[in-house]
Amino acid sequence: MHNRFRKRYSYWLLTAPGLVVFLLVIMFPVIYSVSLSFTEWSGYGTPKFVGMKNYIDILSDSIFLHGLRNNLLIVFISVFGQIPLGFIFAYILHRRMVGGGRFFQTMIFLPITISSVVVALLWNQIFSASGLFTAFMRIITEDPRYVIGMFEQKNLAIVPILFVLLWMHTGTYMVIYLANLQKISPSIIEAAQIDGASEGQTLRRIILPSMFPVIATTAIFAISGSLKAFDLIYAMTGGGPAHFSEVIAIYMYVNTFKYYKYGFGSAASIIIILLSVGLILILQFFTRRIERRNG
Amino acid sequence: MPVRKSLLPWKIFAYSIMVLFTILAITPLLWLLTSSFKPHAEIVRNPLGLPRTWYMENFRRAWTQGSLGVYFMNSVFYSIIATSITTLFALGSGYTFAKFNYRISKFFFALYTLGLLITVHSVIVPLFVLETYTGIGNTRLGVIIPYIAFGLPFAVYLATGYLKGIPDSLEEAALIDGATYMQIFRYIIVPVATPIIATMFIYTFLSNWNEFVLVLTLTSKTAIRSLPVGINSFAGGMSRDYGLQFSALVIGTIPMILFYLIFHEYLERGFAAGISKE
Repeated sequence: MHNRFRKRYSYWLLTAPGLVVFLLVIMFPVIYSVSLSFTEWSGYGTPKFVGMKNYIDILSDSIFLHGLRNNLLIVFISVFGQIPLGFIFAYILHRRMVGGGRFFQTMIFLPITISSVVVALLWNQIFSASGLFTAFMRIITEDPRYVIGMFEQKNLAIVPILFVLLWMHTGTYMVIYLANLQKISPSIIEAAQIDGASEGQTLRRIILPSMFPVIATTAIFAISGSLKAFDLIYAMTGGGPAHFSEVIAIYMYVNTFKYYKYGFGSAASIIIILLSVGLILILQFFTRRIERRNG
Repeated sequence: MPVRKSLLPWKIFAYSIMVLFTILAITPLLWLLTSSFKPHAEIVRNPLGLPRTWYMENFRRAWTQGSLGVYFMNSVFYSIIATSITTLFALGSGYTFAKFNYRISKFFFALYTLGLLITVHSVIVPLFVLETYTGIGNTRLGVIIPYIAFGLPFAVYLATGYLKGIPDSLEEAALIDGATYMQIFRYIIVPVATPIIATMFIYTFLSNWNEFVLVLTLTSKTAIRSLPVGINSFAGGMSRDYGLQFSALVIGTIPMILFYLIFHEYLERGFAAGISKE
């Protein structure tokens, strides 16, 4: 009896500190945020219940919709840019197709260790009139007055940002895939190649199917990461000019902390979660179908 | 595993794409480094060349005028304290979740997994309100507590997974010899878990060091802000002197690159555990 009490006491002593902090800082605020999203509140007095008004206002706001479009482009570049490129790099390194693999791996992974804010300001400099990109383009185009014009165009303002995101995050996927490729038994690949399978066949028939669950998992994190993209864009353009490079998280941040619309901002943050969950469910629907077909 | 000789086209493709992306990855960083040693006028006139003289003044001014010294020390403080506490708490939970066989552990573990999907943005408004009400808003404590919390889900996930893979026999023998659970934690679990502790610590340290939104919203005093927020307000807005901007960015970059080059094995293992945060 004494021993059982001691075990239970130790359990809570070891589990509770983390749990309390986690529940107070993350779980409780999430629930609070949901209830705030149905109110109008500027931080003073009591929140006023307004039902679905915030959600309706957000979904019919053209700034929000442009932000949503930009977010979906970020999802696109993550899933169809960073993931395939990361996989190609991992595959090349794993199959030892290049010498000095360790060097390449370190260099490609390097950008991920740098803070998004530093990356943002660095690339702003690169794109500026006295920047690396501009100097390079002036040599290529032989136009000594070339400056990048994309940032001032509503539809293209997000493009340089997409490029920087690709630059920054491809290394993460490479490292994840590399670790998982190493779990595939080399004897399976050797056996296939002795039986005359070409490199392309080995990749298609053996490696890709066994990597499929990992790729699907990383796609989930690419989606939720893309929808919460904030630091880099906030420091690079702040969503500007004229909301051209807006994303939902910036929309949420500005409405909350510049205009003090706490209820409205909470609704925007709930929309981010709902969108992630929705896209992830769609992804899982397709993943299951492909897995079933692969049998 | 060596690639067969018939694979020349693959090799050419492999080399070109690897070399291209590597150049793309490091050129901006090398350019940043060389530019930081040029005075403003030289950056504008000659953006590509090496600096004519290695001008150190940028760094001295950024460090003092831009308060980067203050921000730097704050970042060190937040990262070390929050990361240590996260690691300790996560290891405690990991031990109980992996070894105590209580049914409620499954529920707690599921909560932490859910926490992996929750972003800072979805809690920032209530957190801001809560901190203002409890009086820890705009204090160091008000930064450290959320840092601990946001580090926990991934760290608990790592610790639990690792400790589940350790045989029960050591622990059982110690129990029979009359050791308490806290003694087992201290003298058996902690030493055995050293590799995962290193991974947890280094991975969490990196995310805390680079964290931006929490400090941006929860603090407003220079004295308690961290390096990313400080660099953003200094290099992003106030300074039109490119030399100062570049040296500020270098100050923000160098520690993490050194950190990475020293600990890359643990860091990559953290990322490779299947989940990355961004």
